[in-house]
Amino acid sequence: MNKNYRQRAINRSFQSEVLESGAERRQDGRTFRRGSSINRKKNAVKKKFKTFSVRSGLDLPLFFITIVLLVIGLVMLFSASYPNAYYYKNGDSYFFIRSQLIWAVLGVIAMIALSYFDYHHLHKMAVPILILSFMLLVLVLFMPVKNEVHRWIQLGPIGFQPSEITKFAIVLSFAHFISINFKRMGSFKYGVLPYAFILGLTAFLLYLEPHISCLIIVVLLSGGMLYIGGIKLRWFGMVLAVALAAVAYLVLFTDKLTYANGRVQGWLDPFSSNPNVDTWQTKQGLYAIGSGGLLGLGLGKSRQKYLYIPEPQNDFIFSVVCEELGFIRAAIILILFAMLVWRGIVISMRAKDRFGSLLGIGLIAQVGLQVILNIFVVTNTIPNTGISLPFFSYGGTSLVMLLAQIGIVLSISRTSKLEKT
Amino acid sequence: MARGTTIRMWRRSLFILMALMFLGFGVSIARLVQLQIFQGENLQQMAIDQQLKDTKISAQRGTIYDCNMKPLAQSATVWTVVLESAYLPDNKTKELVATGLSEILELDKNEVLEKAKKKSYYTVIKRKIESDVKDKIIQFQKTNKIKSGIRLVEDYKRYYPYGDFASAVIGFTGTDSQGLSGVENYYNDYLTGESGKLVTARNAVGTDMPFDYEKMIPAKNGNSLVLSIDEVIQHFLEKNLEEGIANFNVVNKAVAIMMDVNTGDVLGMAVRGGYDLNHPFDIVDDNMKKEIESFPEDGKAKAKAEALEKQWRNKAVSDTYMPGSVFKMVTASMGLEENLVTENTGFNCSGSLVPFKGARPIRCHKHGGHGAQTFLKAFCNSCNPAFISLGQMVGAQKFYQYYDGFGFTEKTGIDLPGEANGIFFSKDGSMGPMDLAVASFGQNFSITPIQMAVAAAAVANGGYLVKPHIVKQIIDPNGNIIRTSEREVRRQVISEDTSRKLCEFLQLNAKEGGAKKGYVPGYRIGGKTGTTQKIGQSGPDGLDYIASFCGIAPADKPQVVLLVYYDTPKGGSYYGGVVAGPTFQQVMQDVLPYLGIERKYTDEELVILDIPTPFLVGSSVSEAKNKLERLGMKPVVYGSGDMVVSQIPEAGVKIPKGGTVVLHTAQDTENKTVKVPKLIGLTPSNANKTAVASGVNIVIKGAISNGAGAVSVRQSIAEGTAVKQGTAVTVEFSVQNQPTED
Repeated sequence: MNKNYRQRAINRSFQSEVLESGAERRQDGRTFRRGSSINRKKNAVKKKFKTFSVRSGLDLPLFFITIVLLVIGLVMLFSASYPNAYYYKNGDSYFFIRSQLIWAVLGVIAMIALSYFDYHHLHKMAVPILILSFMLLVLVLFMPVKNEVHRWIQLGPIGFQPSEITKFAIVLSFAHFISINFKRMGSFKYGVLPYAFILGLTAFLLYLEPHISCLIIVVLLSGGMLYIGGIKLRWFGMVLAVALAAVAYLVLFTDKLTYANGRVQGWLDPFSSNPNVDTWQTKQGLYAIGSGGLLGLGLGKSRQKYLYIPEPQNDFIFSVVCEELGFIRAAIILILFAMLVWRGIVISMRAKDRFGSLLGIGLIAQVGLQVILNIFVVTNTIPNTGISLPFFSYGGTSLVMLLAQIGIVLSISRTSKLEKT
Repeated sequence: MARGTTIRMWRRSLFILMALMFLGFGVSIARLVQLQIFQGENLQQMAIDQQLKDTKISAQRGTIYDCNMKPLAQSATVWTVVLESAYLPDNKTKELVATGLSEILELDKNEVLEKAKKKSYYTVIKRKIESDVKDKIIQFQKTNKIKSGIRLVEDYKRYYPYGDFASAVIGFTGTDSQGLSGVENYYNDYLTGESGKLVTARNAVGTDMPFDYEKMIPAKNGNSLVLSIDEVIQHFLEKNLEEGIANFNVVNKAVAIMMDVNTGDVLGMAVRGGYDLNHPFDIVDDNMKKEIESFPEDGKAKAKAEALEKQWRNKAVSDTYMPGSVFKMVTASMGLEENLVTENTGFNCSGSLVPFKGARPIRCHKHGGHGAQTFLKAFCNSCNPAFISLGQMVGAQKFYQYYDGFGFTEKTGIDLPGEANGIFFSKDGSMGPMDLAVASFGQNFSITPIQMAVAAAAVANGGYLVKPHIVKQIIDPNGNIIRTSEREVRRQVISEDTSRKLCEFLQLNAKEGGAKKGYVPGYRIGGKTGTTQKIGQSGPDGLDYIASFCGIAPADKPQVVLLVYYDTPKGGSYYGGVVAGPTFQQVMQDVLPYLGIERKYTDEELVILDIPTPFLVGSSVSEAKNKLERLGMKPVVYGSGDMVVSQIPEAGVKIPKGGTVVLHTAQDTENKTVKVPKLIGLTPSNANKTAVASGVNIVIKGAISNGAGAVSVRQSIAEGTAVKQGTAVTVEFSVQNQPTED
């Protein structure tokens, strides 16, 4: 059984074809089957995938947790953003929520659509997307500076961060390469070198932007995926050591440290009166969180969002959530996120193949990491670095990306060996 | 186990899951617990501190009234300009605000700009601007559409409508409206009130939040003071002191204290030269200004501080002096109270006295000596040897006992800041024989003027040492009296008998003794002069002196005590009687009628109290008669007409009370002539009697201020001349036996 499985995986990796594994599922008595061409597959999808199905449908807990979080996120975005919109957008309190709602609708559509999309097709896209990611990361360096960093690419009215693509590209490509080289993950040539190369180049480009928060997420995700992929812990340890050394070097000896170091100072003493350390955002966030107390000031009654917290609709939205909803509800939101991650990982662990497992875990872990790092930043547990809160923070492209990723996980869930509810 | 995974992959996935759950979400929730539950209150407080903008509502400081509710110190609304630079959006606005404010408020632009660039929610730019300047700022805000960043906070400013009037007593306030001297300082807690607060919620750019949050804690205005000081009396004191300072070139200020002897109400307390309470930090004294200028740059501030301290000092309570002969009223009280002397006890003065064997002789101010004299005479002569002898009779121990009893060893407890302690020879009250000898005439120990005034009051009021006070009542903003100063007797020092006797002594001294220059006819003034050499202090042009005069009125039923004291007169005389006497007299002359004290004249006094003859021509006879009788003149009518056609003496001629005025009703009426009697060599009253008996009037000329010891020396119409009845004869008097000064 085990031997069979591995053989098939290798075959698949060479053929870059997913059909066999799909066919395999028939033995489990599942109701769907896949054809050998795209046309056939399309028909099959229509036939075999039911949107809500006890046996073969998408995973309802994951779907509903996502929807609940999205709804709460939209409500809170409206609450957090309207003063800013009111004061800075010519009295248009709905400025942010209007746009976010549109993107949310698009995102949900994308999520549901992707849940029907057989994720095995992503094997083919892994390398192109990775190359696209590199190109965009290079391109963004030539984009005009915004807030002292090159982070945005403007396409007409829509601005997006290539690093959103990068995160997805890394997860996808790692899942792809690990799953096809699964047997050889123990070796240096197949288990370490390609990943080290991809990660190194990506990290370097992110570092040039600079986009440290994304870099951290990318490194953590890659590490996690390689770890699950079965890399030998000694490689893992070595890379970790090198990474740590590099970070230490950056912090201690380069001129980037002025940027980073001020943040570290502000982190250690957010109420510092040192005028060279800008802790305003962190400080105002902490005021908001503290003001919430156990039960909160009530929905819409945040005071800190009145221009005290700069851009409360973005990274620091959770501090407004804490202020308005209080500890109990904020904790419930965190638990919902935890459940989302839990469910996503469980789905992935039970995915019918390693590619699905790795991809699912990677995507859901990305969401989880972003939530956790955002909360850590907002609560000043780690130095301030720009990480948005999934489903809550304002940002259309990022929301669509996020929902699309959940859609992929949902797609994985359709073939995952779960007790469907 | 799903087929797509190996056991290792499964395990490692679980590990990642657990790591995310515990390290990630677990820590996140723990941090929320920490921030929201444990540090919640602190953080919330900090948040509220920045969200809620307190606007201080200043309490209005109480008014200071004189005893007739005339305001002496008042608070009026002014504004403090506060810059909330954190709300100024950009550098352009900051520049604009700095330019505008510096122009309106006449400030240095760069300084304002610096304040505008510093991120702050409360920087005071200028305090106490008047409403016209405030209006300009509001206009500036409107024209430039500056909605936030400049705040005008209502405040109060102290006004002293009378400028330097009663400056030592009233005092002034500092920039935060805190009392810095005088009753402003002493009663600061009563006057201040409690400032209130207006709390509003503000967003980070300083405009109001859309939800309502406003809380007002109203200010409690301060209580007002009603002083026992009477503005009229105070005015008389100050006016006459100024005159004395000018006349005698007094270089080191002058003090006058008038106090109700029975209640301890201070009716007036003048320290001249004063300073303008509205500008207390301006040096008034030109010499002082020059002196400060002469200091090197780094010493100027210190010199100015010292000069200001001196300027503000209330000499009446904060400075000590040697009372000199004024103190003899206290020594005399000891002698009489202890029954050691009576007014008739004989003393002999040979011009100097050796107080004890081997001591240097102490000279009397009259170098030839007063010879044999009664104790009363010795008092009026202010004879030093007599008082040395009396001091020796009293003895050092008893002397100190009385000294202590009269309150010279303790503060009087007057409600003014900075009351000084006197300096006695020793702390335990022991004194050597020479100390005793000089102390008995008031030398070599120092007391404050207020101590002397209170002791003199005790001498006069039956021996009761009262506590002096400046504030009579404290009233709250609604006009309710919350405190009234009651008469507070600290103790009885001498018996009422002794007191009465001393009053007689003092009255006689004022009438015909050394204190004659302070006498006011009709008011039974009692007084004692003092001239003190300032020990260890001599100016470039010889020794420095203090000239003082302390007295009471009326002596038969004392009501007020007045102490006048000139520090270092440099204009010729330095004698208490000469320098301080006229001031005392003038003040009494002004004040006593104001106080409604009844005049009681002796015969002598009645004479010199000449009244101008009224204009009667043209009025009816009965009307004219009434008018004359009211004035105390004797009408004599000739003719049977109804109307007065002529009168003798003419209108405006001053004749003594009881003089004859002849009225004619027809032009050609027969004129009765009388012969002028001999009017030379008589006292004023005898001269008047003689003249009235002969049918003529006298017009008194010459220096007979109090009528004592004057004798007529010349008359304008020779004896025996026939004149019309009622004719005024001018008689010139001259005072003989001028009593000597001490």
